[in-house]
Order: sequence, then structure tokens, then C-alpha cells
Amino acid sequence: MEIGPIWRAMMRNKTGAILIALQIAVTMAIMVNAISIMQERGRVMSRSSGIDEHNIFVITSVGFAEDFNERITIEEDLAMLRVMPGVVNAIQSNSVPLSGGGWSMGLQTEPGAEIEGTGVAIYFVDEHGIDTFGLNLVAGENFDATDITWRERSDTDWPDKTIITRAMAETLYPDDPDGALGKTVYISDTEPLTITGIIEQMQAPWNSWDGVERVMLAPTHTLFGATRYIIRTEPGMRDSLMPQVEELLAERNKNRIVRSMRSMDEIRERSYRGDSSMITILTFTIVLLIAVTSLGIVGLASFSVNRRTKQIGTRRALGASKVAILRYFMTENFIISFLGVLLGAGLTIGLNILMIEAFSLTRIAWYLVPVAMLMLLMVGQVAVFGPARRASSVPPAVATRTV
Amino acid sequence: MLSMQNISMVYRAGMVETHALREFSLEVAEGDFVSVTGPSGSGKTTFLNIAGLLEQFTDGRYELDGRDVSGLSDTESSAVRNEKIGFVFQSFNLIPDLNLFDNVDVPLRYRGFNAAERKRRIEKVLETVGLASRMKHLPSQLSGGQQQRVAIARALAGEPRFLLADEPTGNLDSHMAMSVMELISEINSNGTTIIMVTHDPVLAEMASRNVHILDGRVSDDHPDIQIAQAATA
Amino acid sequence: MFSYYLKLGWLSIRRNPLLSTLMVAAIAVGIGSCMTIITVNYIMSSNPIPQKSDQLFYVQLDSWDPNNEDDDGFEPPEQVTYLDAMALMKADKAYRQIASNRSGLVLEPQGEGERPFAVDTRNTWADFFPMFDLRFIYGSGWDDSADRNLERVVVLSKEINERVFGGEDSVGRSVRLNGMDFQVVGVIDEFLPVPKFYDVTNGAFNEPEEIFIPFNISVEYEFPRNGNTNCWKTPDGDGFEAFLNSECAWIQFWAELRNETEKQDYMTFLNAYAEQQKELGRFPRPLNNQLSNVMEWMEKQEVVDDDAQVMLGLSLLFLLVCLLNTIGLLLAKFLGKSGDISLRRALGASRSSLFIQHMIESGLIGLGGGVLGLGLTWLGLRGIEMLFGDFVKNLVGLDWVMVLTAIGLAILSALLAGLYPTWRACRIAPASQLKIQ
Ligand SMILES: Nc1ncnc2c1ncn2[C@@H]1O[C@H](COP(=O)(O)OP(=O)(O)OP(=O)(O)O)[C@@H](O)[C@H]1O
Ligand SMILES: [Mg+2]
Repeated sequence: MEIGPIWRAMMRNKTGAILIALQIAVTMAIMVNAISIMQERGRVMSRSSGIDEHNIFVITSVGFAEDFNERITIEEDLAMLRVMPGVVNAIQSNSVPLSGGGWSMGLQTEPGAEIEGTGVAIYFVDEHGIDTFGLNLVAGENFDATDITWRERSDTDWPDKTIITRAMAETLYPDDPDGALGKTVYISDTEPLTITGIIEQMQAPWNSWDGVERVMLAPTHTLFGATRYIIRTEPGMRDSLMPQVEELLAERNKNRIVRSMRSMDEIRERSYRGDSSMITILTFTIVLLIAVTSLGIVGLASFSVNRRTKQIGTRRALGASKVAILRYFMTENFIISFLGVLLGAGLTIGLNILMIEAFSLTRIAWYLVPVAMLMLLMVGQVAVFGPARRASSVPPAVATRTV
Repeated sequence: MLSMQNISMVYRAGMVETHALREFSLEVAEGDFVSVTGPSGSGKTTFLNIAGLLEQFTDGRYELDGRDVSGLSDTESSAVRNEKIGFVFQSFNLIPDLNLFDNVDVPLRYRGFNAAERKRRIEKVLETVGLASRMKHLPSQLSGGQQQRVAIARALAGEPRFLLADEPTGNLDSHMAMSVMELISEINSNGTTIIMVTHDPVLAEMASRNVHILDGRVSDDHPDIQIAQAATA
Repeated sequence: MFSYYLKLGWLSIRRNPLLSTLMVAAIAVGIGSCMTIITVNYIMSSNPIPQKSDQLFYVQLDSWDPNNEDDDGFEPPEQVTYLDAMALMKADKAYRQIASNRSGLVLEPQGEGERPFAVDTRNTWADFFPMFDLRFIYGSGWDDSADRNLERVVVLSKEINERVFGGEDSVGRSVRLNGMDFQVVGVIDEFLPVPKFYDVTNGAFNEPEEIFIPFNISVEYEFPRNGNTNCWKTPDGDGFEAFLNSECAWIQFWAELRNETEKQDYMTFLNAYAEQQKELGRFPRPLNNQLSNVMEWMEKQEVVDDDAQVMLGLSLLFLLVCLLNTIGLLLAKFLGKSGDISLRRALGASRSSLFIQHMIESGLIGLGGGVLGLGLTWLGLRGIEMLFGDFVKNLVGLDWVMVLTAIGLAILSALLAGLYPTWRACRIAPASQLKIQ
């Protein structure tokens, strides 16, 4: 409607308008970049670890007495765990996805020390590994009981077979990932391994590693002193089985302690705590920011309404309806906010470029900019509505009554 | 044209009731130039506010142009003010952030005229008050008398049937006051009905009729002031 | 006069309660969010051992794979191999030096019915205690001779002494670790360096270990390694011996060098050592040994993580929004007093006195915002603690420096915000408002 005169009147009191516009612009820059970070984190967190997380828990057993026999203990523990009612399957492994600690090696398609291998996370499992983790074997076959070797902490031998993830196959054989099955790869520069199976997907223990999907399973039991059991239960049985298993293991053998019992859900929560906290903090920041900005708009608009009471009364006397007054203030705010979000779009992109350079963050999704512009325009309209309503209720008689 | 019967106006401020108008009755005919006088606090401004639909009265009957205005909604009375009534205030009430052109433009905007029509009218009325050359000036760059002329221009731009003025010369020196009065008389001679509140008996006598208010009532009504004036002149 | 201005400021603040509250709140929220993040950054980047951080040097030897080049060229490995650690210890060229790593053992309490429990232990050398200024409640660290003679001695943390011995003087008594008895020689007082500079490889903000054991003992009895181990070559053969002689890096090495000369000398020594190793067929890369003092090492290891810095940037921008807000509100407020100001001017107030008056008013608002912001900071830190749990236990304290920074920053922000509005207020002409418009 009457943008011309509103604009000219605003130009007479530029500073207030500029300050609000700047505030909206910076708010938008922070908001969009924060949302972009949140989206990125959300995306990272929603990746599948590839295993049946909700029904798996882990527990560690550490032998300490001189006459502690780790191998016999593992065999007996696993035999006992596997027949427990409610347990689907159990294995011993060195690590689990999302735990943050594990073993990685390089795999190469040709032997030789001068060749740089492709980093891969290794899970040591036995023939129950695929079932216990709940993995999906898409090609080849599972390990056999006769494949399983035993490995001491300082051993360097590797078994003959391995099962790898499809992502690993794609990295090793980019031209023919399907042909990976049956091929020989080399670990420790020269030790050959035959790929006997391919699983659909599984994550490495380090969720921020760029090769997080590159995993291999080795048919090996480890004798590293601390033994980690992975236990998969029937749906809904996990929570009741956890204390039972802990008690049973502790009682079965007094020469060890059991510790660090955690469900996969808990491990996931701990693994992404930094990310989820970041999301919480950023959400909080955005809410506060919008609150501050809208309160600022409310404050300045209220003030300007107070200052212009007589003017409003005069307009009313000259025939402005309440709606016209309301519209005047809403329009004024719209103009300011619009300039603010225009500037904000520039600032947002600038800040994003800076952040990409300094912290290698991702680029913002293009649609965030118009969405944020619309949203802030709306925030401005909502914030100014109160003061504008008050303005519209200034009685016309103010024109003759105020000095 | 304007007909008030037994209008009463009571202001309530807490426990205190102020009777600003009591059983106030007045008829004003088309083309009249009425000056309203009376001591301070007698109810002149209150009368003008009610006449101009700026305030709702407490009791009585008020017809404007044959239409009962007591039941009008806010939007309706705004429209009536906008189309039929022009206001001139003692302290000018120009909008300080707008230049002269935009100030005169204010009521026209609410009227919904197109840009060309508004421009034509603004230029015409500013011409009438002799300020066409200063269209881009701000009110603060004008003298008091000039500001009041702009206010009159603003009131005239919508070609109202009524011009209501509350002490339009109250803030002006006698020379300025006289030139503003001449402007108002001229407007009246073009057919606009005028009601003007003033404290100045000399100015009051320039009207065709004088209404004296005392304690919220019409105490004296001189419909033939023109004759009296002619006699004194 | 100052108290008169204070009074005027206070009156003016009270006259416009809504506007004043908004301003104080805006500053408080800005300061609160900013200070929360600044505190976390400040603690993350604080100097854990200020008295001698520039005399303690982390040693990196480039014994790594010639076929594994990073984007920015060759970077020496974070830790050193056993071979190199032992060679440096034996050479004894620094004023003090230690090789150390982390283990996890099981402690069996002697009392009836008490269950064994896991403890974090650090394997190190006698110099560890004087080098890092550890204070003892009971006894002391062990002697060099204990390192040489493989004596089974331990130093306990205050907490573990509390847990096992009820806080008594336990020097001379024994603790059972992984089935072996160790004699207690000392109990240290609280030791909580933040960041945990002496082993950032295994978590810069982890808790320090609970028990300290001679490094040689841990090797002799093949204690499990609980930290990062990195190999670029598979050990030649199976068994612990082969592992010790391998190119696997798993030990942190620190040297205390008291001045530039000692540092230069040590660097010369390291390079000579590397050259000599090259002749033996090791150290295949170009010479690239490095000495970093504590703060340099923290920097190199990027102890302050990206998230904290991103948050810092965003929170500073947040403060900017709050400031813009305050500028707007102050401007509104001061110009709203135009009548009052021009009257004062007409009555003889000089520009400078008006300037002071309004800056004081701004400062008062800043002070209010600062105090409230401090409360919000405290809440914010509690929030961070709740979110991150034990990861940041040591990160969320508020010290005096931070309290003063918060108040100072608040007042400074308010004064900055007040500058433009005040300047505008001072420009109001004595007569302008007396004229009817
Ligand atoms: N909003 C109000 N609330 C209460 N009383 C009011 C209000 N407005 C006017 N009055 C009272 O109504 C009476 C009439 O006031 P009005 O303004 O009409 O006087 P006036 O004749 O215009 O006087 P003056 O010549 O001094 O302008 C006065 O007693 C005044 O105090
Ligand atoms: Mg009056």
C-alpha cells in the first residue's frame, strides 16, 4: 500500500530502522548456519551402524589372577551365553561400531611394502559373528567353525579368509566390486587373505572416520587380556538379560572382573553425545536469538508508537481506520525486515564461506535461505503486532487533546 | 446539515465524573460559518470532537447530513471523517517525518484515490495556501503560520463538506492569524461549512454566526453576526 | 558530580522500566551465552602447567613409513617406539626425561568380601613427579634406582588411597595389582591438569590415572596397553619381544629443557640419534624430529576442538545481535528524553557533562546486564555439563578471571552500545525541543 510515505518517514529516522535490519540480518546469518550445522549432524547421527542395535549389548571380562585361562574362559562363557533363554547369539569381538576404540589395518590388492593399503576397520569374530551382529551377507558364505584361529596380543599371523563390507569391496575394486568375492587381498603388506563373503553394510568403530563403512571381519578369537562379549537378545529381552549376564559372568569365574556393560543404544548415545549436544546448544541459541531479536522489535516498536501517539491520533482524525494504523506499523516493520533478510542472505552466505574455510563445514542447503527469510519476516510481523495493535487503539481525540 | 439534540458528554476518571456537555443542542446549516466561543473548560473542544466523530458522546442524538451517527462503527466513522470532515488543530499536528506533499497526502491515501488524482489535489491545495513551491520541505523548516496553512491545505485536500477548527490561530501572532482567517473565510465562501473554536472575539466576529458555550451548554447564539459586524464596521 | 550522574542514570532507568528491562536482558543474554562458550574455550585452551610450560618439551621422532605421505608432507608420528624411548632414556641428555604410557589393571583389595576392581594406571619414570610438579600428601615418588632395579613400587592418587586405605598414610603398605604385590612409596595430592597435557593422544580431557607404576615393570610383566598403538610395519615375528623391537609407536616422551641452549643441544642430540639410526636402516624419511613445548603441543594437537570454536564464533555474533539491540533501545530511550536534554542544555549543561551522564547511564545498564549475565553463564555451564556429562567434568568451572571478564565485557559492551546514542543525545540543540512542531 503506502510504501512511499512510510519509506520517506523511515528515512527521517534511519538509525532505528538500520539497527533492526542489521539485527535481523545477523540473526539470519547465525540461524541459517546453525541450522545447517544441525542438519549435518542430524544426517551423521541418522546413519545406520549396520547391526541390530536395539537388541545388542556388550560386556567386558578382564582376568587378573595368575592361573586365569583366558581361552577356556571364553569358550565356556560363550557356550553358556548361547544357551541362555532370550539370547539369540553371542560372540567375542575386539570392538563394536560406534564404540570409538578398535583396530584398523591397511588392505591392498597387490603385495608389497611400497604400496599404500586402504584403511579398514577389523572386527575379530567367529562363525556366529554375522548372526550376532545381525549383518546381511549378500554374497559368498559365512565362516566355518574350522576357520577360527586364536590370536595372542603380540601375534602377527592372520587367518586365510575374510568377509568385507560392500563399501570396502567398492574401494578395493572400484571397477568391479561384484567380482571381489574370491579375490585375494593383502594385509601387513604381504599376508594374503581370500574374500569369502560380502556383507551389505557395517560401520567401523569410529563414527567420524571418512572410511567409516570400510570394515572387514576376521575369523579369529583374541586373547588380549580384556575380552569383550557381544550379546544379541530376543526383542524386548535385552534389559532384563543385562543384569543376569553380568551376575552370571562374575559368579562363574572369580579370577576376573566384568565391567563396562553397555547396551548398543547407550554406546550410540555416548558416541554421538558431542553431536547431539551441539544440536541442543544450537537449538537453544536459535530460540534465544529469535527471542532477543523479537523483543528488540517489540521494544523499539513500542517506543516508536509512544513517540508517535499524537501523529497516530492525527491520522485517525484525518480518517484513518484502526486497520489502516495497524497496517502502517506492520508495513513499516515489513520493509525493515525485508531489507534485513536481504542483507541477511548475503551475510549468511558470507559466514558460510568463512566457516567452510575455517572448519570445513558443509555448504548450506539453498532452500534454507528463502525459508529463513520468510520465517524472519513472519517473526517480525508477529513481534510488531502487539505494539501495532496498541497504536491502532490510540483514540482520534488525542489529536486535539495532546499538547 | 448538522443537528445535535440533547447531547451530553460525561468523562469518568475513576470516581470523578466531569460533565463536559449537558443537554447540548445545536443545528448548523449547510454553508454556515460558525465561531464557537466560551471560557476555558466550558466544553468547546469536546463539542468539536463529537461533531467531528473523534469521540463518542454519552447521551443524546446527533445527525450529520441527515444520518444518525451514534451507532457508527469505528471503520464507518473513520470513513465519514475522511470524506466529509476536515480538521485544523491549534498545534497544527503535521507529521514531522513527512514533507509537505506527504503530509497533505495522508487523508487522500486513506480515501483510496489513485496517484495522479492525489498529486493533482495536493498541488492544487498547496497552491491555494500559497506553499506550492515548498512541497519537499519538512514541517520543521516552516514558520508556525506556514505550518497552519499546510494543515488547512491538508484539511481541504479531500474537499470536505465540513471544516472543523480548534483555535486554528491560537499559536499564531495577530498578523499571521489574520491571514489564516482570510483563508478560512475564503473556503467558506466556496461553500464549505465551517465550525471554528476561538478565544479571540475579533476573529469570532468574522464568522457568520457565533455560538457561546458556558458550562457545557449553548448560552448564546448570534445567527446574524454578519449584520452586527457590518454595523460595527 | 559522579554520584549525581549515577542518580540521574538510575532515575532514568526507572522511568522506562520496560525499555530498561529489555536492555538489561539483552546484554545479560548476550553475555551469558558468550561467556558460557568463552569459558569452555578458555579452559580448553588454558595452560595446565603455567610455571614451566615452556621448559617441558614433547618429543617427536620421525621413524615413520616413507610411503605414507600426508597432504601437508611428512608429519612425524605422535608417539615414539619402544626402541627410541629406551635409547633416549638411556642417553639421559635432557635435564629430566620420561617415557610413559597408559595401562589398565585390576586391583584386589585385601579386605574380606571386597570385590576386585579395574584401575587406570600410568607407566612412567622417576622424573615424572618432579618434572610435572606433583605434590605429595604422603611419601614421595620413587628413585631412579627403582626404575633400574625393577622394584615393584607404586604411587597412588589421592582418590585411590582414599578408596583402598581410607585416606591413611599408606606408604610402606602394599597393593595387589593383576595378582602381584606392589609397595606404596607415595600418595599424591589432587592432580587434575586441564587439558591433560602429558597424554593428549589418549584424550585431552580425560581423568588422570589413579596409579603410577615404573615403566620398566610394565614392560617386564607385559601389562596391557590401554592407549593408542600405531604401527606402519608388522613386527618381525610373534611375541612381546618382537613387538618391543618393532616400529610400533605407543609411548609419549617428554623432556625438561631449562633454556634455549639446552633445547638446541637436545635437538642436536635427537638429530644425531636419527642419523645414527638411519645408518642402521631405520628412519627412512628425511630428518624431521620435533620438540614442542606444552602450549605448542596443545596447539598442534588441536586440543580446542572445532565445535568449541564454531560455537565461540556464533556466540560472538550473538553478542553482536544483543549489542545492536541495545544500541537501538538506548537510542530510542535517549532521543525520547530529547525534551529533558534540550531543557538541561538550555539550563547550562555542557555537552561533555551530558556525555558523561549518558555514558554512566549506559554503564549502569551494562553492570546490571553483567551481573544477570553471570547468573546466566553459570546456568549455561550447568547446562553444558548436563549435556556432555563426564566428558567435560573439568571444563565448566567459573573462576575470578571469568567473573571479572563477564562483568567487564558487559560494561564495555554497554558503553560501546551507548556511544552512538549518547553522541546523538549530545547533539540535541538547546532550543530544538522548545519549539512547537
Ligand atoms: N479525557 C478527559 N477526561 C476527563 N475530563 C476531560 C477530558 N477531556 C476534557 N475533560 C474535561 O471536560 C471539560 C471540557 O473540556 P474541553 O477541552 O472541551 O474545554 P475547552 O472549552 O476546549 O477549554 P479550552 O478553551 O481551555 O480549550 C473540562 O472540564 C475538562 O477538564
Ligand atoms: Mg479546547
